[in-house]
Amino acid sequence: MIFELESEDTSGLIQARDLMNEIASSQFSLFGDEGAAKNRLRLISFDGRIGLIRFSHLHLNETRATLAAVHSIRGIRAAIRTKGVSGTIKSAREKYLPRLVKLSYESDGRRIERKDISGCIIRTHGVKVDLCPDDRYKSAGSEAQFMGLTSLDLCGGHEDADGTADGL
Amino acid sequence: MSFFELVNCYPEGSSSASRMALAARSLGYGGIIIFSRDPEKIFMPGAAEKVKGIEVAFGVEASASSPRALKSRISSLRSRYPFVAVQGSSDEVIRMASEDPNVDLLIHPCDSRRPLGIATARAASSNQVSIGFDLYPMIHLRGNRRARWMEALRRNLELIRKFHIRPAITAGAATHLDLRSPRELMALAEVAGFEPDEAREALCQPSRILELNRRRWAGPGVEIL
Repeated sequence: MIFELESEDTSGLIQARDLMNEIASSQFSLFGDEGAAKNRLRLISFDGRIGLIRFSHLHLNETRATLAAVHSIRGIRAAIRTKGVSGTIKSAREKYLPRLVKLSYESDGRRIERKDISGCIIRTHGVKVDLCPDDRYKSAGSEAQFMGLTSLDLCGGHEDADGTADGL
Repeated sequence: MSFFELVNCYPEGSSSASRMALAARSLGYGGIIIFSRDPEKIFMPGAAEKVKGIEVAFGVEASASSPRALKSRISSLRSRYPFVAVQGSSDEVIRMASEDPNVDLLIHPCDSRRPLGIATARAASSNQVSIGFDLYPMIHLRGNRRARWMEALRRNLELIRKFHIRPAITAGAATHLDLRSPRELMALAEVAGFEPDEAREALCQPSRILELNRRRWAGPGVEIL
């Protein structure tokens, strides 16, 4: 199974070992020692964002549930998005990796100033914008560190801003 | 029938409506229902409608200080929103919501001390109120607390099956990181006690409710074409 890790980690704190510890903890918690023994879950590779995991083909649903139940790694909010499942490691790489290598995050140093939201942009990816709000209570309800916005939200922002057409 | 997810957006959550719509689209949802206690305060709702390839609907979560006040609030909200949900915060609220045909979805807390009662299940069945199960505890709780929650869910599911109530499931997302793909949500629901077909139907239930509410009804069973 190829998966993508979406997280609030900006400085590469999440290592393969941390990820596997969290996945194993989720698996033991959901299915116990017996369930974990039946499903031979192994992390084959992980580059900080894209990973490949091997499991018994008889336990696909259990593996999906295990990965879905991971919500934070080393205290950093994260979600594991399954990209595809294949019978062999080779075919999984061929089918799902070429489309994923195009994605990349870029760091950002700009600010957003609106009357209802203000803060520093942490990163942008296409139209997606992650914002660190000046008022930390803005994202307190969901245990998230950053707010998720899009450039569609920001069009027609502060009139003094010398921003671009996408509102940033 | 496509999969729909119920989400909370900023200011109740920490992601905007358009970010939720983008994340849900990439996960494979056909649409999202953004529901909030005060839909007027949702940040930039128009931006979410600009996101192509996903249907965005706005619903309301009715809440009030007392069950009687809640009933009148639901009646006033019914004509304005295509989706009315009630969070089952107390026994009185759960009982009242199950007896009101204006309620589309009653989100049951699955507390082992407050299981779904037979009277409530029968009322929900006769008034066509769907019972919603928020799988947020399944993702965020661990150990004993999750085991207790799953035990309560299994007990509630027995009544749901007995009274032929249509359940709905949601991840209870307040940020885009809380969203899970339909397959992952179905896998979690199956672990929690749903049958595979039940889990699939439960994910489609919000879209079914929306479709029914968008048609013009002159009275029970009478549609204006």
